[in-house]
Amino acid sequence: MQIPAQIQNDTSSADAVLQVTGLKKYFGGVKALDGVDFSLLRGEVHALVGENGAGKSTLIRVLTGVHTFTEGTIVIGGAAFAPQSPQQAKARGVQVVHQELNLLSHLSVAENISIEALPRTRFGLYDRSEVRRRARVALDAIGLSDVDVDATVSTLGIAHCQLIEIARALQSDSAILILDEPTATLTDREKLRLFDIVGALATRGVTVVFVTHHLDEVFAICDRVTVFRNGKTIITQTISETSPAEVVRHMVGRELVQKASQRSPIPDEAPVALALDAFRVASSRSNAGATFDLRCGEILGLAGLVGAGRTELLRGIFGVDPVVSGTLKRDGVPVKFANPAQAIAAGLGFVTEDRKDEGLILSMPIAANTSLASMGLVARLGLLRHAKEAGMATAQGAKLQLKFGKISDAVSSLSGGNQQKVVLAKWLATAPRVLLLDEPTRGVDVGAKAEIYTILRDLADAGLAILVVSSELPELMTLCDRILVMAKNEIQGCVLPPDYSEENILKLAYRQS
Amino acid sequence: MTSTAGRGFRDLINRAGIGLALLGLVVFFSVTTEHFLTANNITNILTQITINLILGVGMTFVILIGGIDLSVGSIMAFAAVVAGKAMTLHGLGPAEAIMLATLAGLLAGVVCGLLNGFLSAYWAIPSFIITLGMLNIARGAALQVTDAQTIYAFPKEFSEFGSSLIAGVPVVFILALMLVAIAWFILNHTVLGRMIYGIGNNEEAVRLAGHSVFRYKMIAFTLCGLLSGIAAIVYMARLNIASPIAGIGFELNAIAAVIIGGTSLSGGRGSVIGTLMGAFIIGVLANGLILLGLSDFMRQMITGVVLIAAVLLDQFRARYGRAG
Repeated sequence: MQIPAQIQNDTSSADAVLQVTGLKKYFGGVKALDGVDFSLLRGEVHALVGENGAGKSTLIRVLTGVHTFTEGTIVIGGAAFAPQSPQQAKARGVQVVHQELNLLSHLSVAENISIEALPRTRFGLYDRSEVRRRARVALDAIGLSDVDVDATVSTLGIAHCQLIEIARALQSDSAILILDEPTATLTDREKLRLFDIVGALATRGVTVVFVTHHLDEVFAICDRVTVFRNGKTIITQTISETSPAEVVRHMVGRELVQKASQRSPIPDEAPVALALDAFRVASSRSNAGATFDLRCGEILGLAGLVGAGRTELLRGIFGVDPVVSGTLKRDGVPVKFANPAQAIAAGLGFVTEDRKDEGLILSMPIAANTSLASMGLVARLGLLRHAKEAGMATAQGAKLQLKFGKISDAVSSLSGGNQQKVVLAKWLATAPRVLLLDEPTRGVDVGAKAEIYTILRDLADAGLAILVVSSELPELMTLCDRILVMAKNEIQGCVLPPDYSEENILKLAYRQS
Repeated sequence: MTSTAGRGFRDLINRAGIGLALLGLVVFFSVTTEHFLTANNITNILTQITINLILGVGMTFVILIGGIDLSVGSIMAFAAVVAGKAMTLHGLGPAEAIMLATLAGLLAGVVCGLLNGFLSAYWAIPSFIITLGMLNIARGAALQVTDAQTIYAFPKEFSEFGSSLIAGVPVVFILALMLVAIAWFILNHTVLGRMIYGIGNNEEAVRLAGHSVFRYKMIAFTLCGLLSGIAAIVYMARLNIASPIAGIGFELNAIAAVIIGGTSLSGGRGSVIGTLMGAFIIGVLANGLILLGLSDFMRQMITGVVLIAAVLLDQFRARYGRAG
């Protein structure tokens, strides 16, 4: 990978507060980091970007002493750095504010700020006034003079909590502050405040590492950006010398993505099985909501980044989470599902993202899991008919080419792919007309993946309307007749097979057109 | 294939384990004491374990669904004094009095159980807390209703039912066995039973499959209340009184029977047959240790050790199960 000469000069300059060279981290045979090279300059805001699993999180864990690394060198302030624990990392001035906040919600702001080393009076007692004084200093230092140090953390909003964590991280002389997805839960106004504080920190000489999925933020506040792909750093660029489109191209890589087998498009006059209009769930941060049609016989993909609101949308459609506004039409008839039972009665099925927590009862038999959503078919007057249940499960299993020992074996005895088939069997037993699937091939091996694709295509050919959420773009491009791209709880656009490419989808996902 | 065979063998040990332990105890006490294996003593044991067994059956439903019911002892006392009041109403013939009292006692138990279920399921409050409250409420209500006085003077037909034997087996124990059989049938052959196991294992999966978790939790707690009511009637028939301070600490014995019987305290795994075994182990231990000449204090200590050993075994099995 070619690196602009200017950047190379920078990395060797005396201004580099941190220098990472050839860093590798293996977990057994998994190469989480496979050659990471980059540097941080004093007082810069440096973005780390890359797709999920590109290695950003692992790098942060290495830098903050959670994981040790396998190979390579890290140099901080001229001396080698290999932290064995978070304490050692902090002692060298590397602090991190995680996406999930680490505050004790029932304690005061002041107590939280000093929690790592509570000051004592000369009698060894807890020194309340010193705790309050330190908190005041720490908060004022980042311009939070409006926050009361005695307030209980649980009474504050999420944005304040994050800023308090930043204040806590900065009270010792941190040279490097890592912010992991800091804007994921913030409103636009809170974001601006955070950006102001980040800017002020940089002028004070603190180096801020900004991990984010949002390229607009990168281009708004960062000085340089390093792109990760497959555990490697691809390039470091100065923001003024690059463009969002270029960064996306580096993230995706240049290899050509396989095109889907050409199919005739679903005709416009195919009946609409499910229509959403300005559909908003409670967690939605969009005022417009989601609007789209799902046709019979169609496999519609829903792409987007983590946090785009795809899972929440499916849960809203299926009546799991409350819907705040908008309309949902099933075969043209407006419907409101108060619970999953009503959605199932209307012909919907929902293969959830997490089959262990939401999809299956692992310790129970294959037969019991298969019949779970259609008990009425295997029971009369509340009495189970075990033979009928076993028959139903065996029939569904045969259709899906399920590999199992006995139908009475626990689902936990099956492989990931076969477990996923049991989830499918459970919903197919209800004879659904609309199937919602969230990450249908997660943790499934390649062979079973192909089988599941074939099953879904056959179902669509039989007239089912299928909506698939997936974070694997090749999967969506292989499987879907159309791909909708979602960001910030809204549909940003639709990509049709002739235009299928990771770049086209990611452009919409990052709202860069 | 070997792994399947191995698992089958482990299953057998797991299932038979509790029965083997019971058998071991019976053999041990038969050899070491003179009176253990006599008709009289066996009748004694069966009588003594009856109430714990009935409460344990109700507790099995609640624990399988992932809850706990600390109030069964208090509910039993409350149901007993309600039934006692009804039975001693003036102007009733013996048959009418017994019928009315039984209905009143069962209803009192059902209402308490329904409240437990509603409060904990509707607001998703841990049942530990709700039933701890009910433990106090029902006990206080029992004392309030009776002014802390014991109710007695029941029809003699009633106490005859409590003490009658069929071939040396107490009728009340046969009743308890029937309840075990009904509970077994519910748990293994009805949608309700399937849902109880399902919710105990993975509430979310059951909810997403379109079932009302709330409804099934209500039913489990209500069944537990109903069985407390039945235990109250049996208790009255045996002792011929209804005391507002009856059943103190009974909830702990019922929980012990369920846990010793191999039902997981976190729900979803176990059986009412296990509870039957658990109740027997507690009863046989109590009886045999006293026949051996040990003090009641020693008996209590040993019962405690058995309980902890059973839970350790359960943990071990859970880990084993995951590994296999």
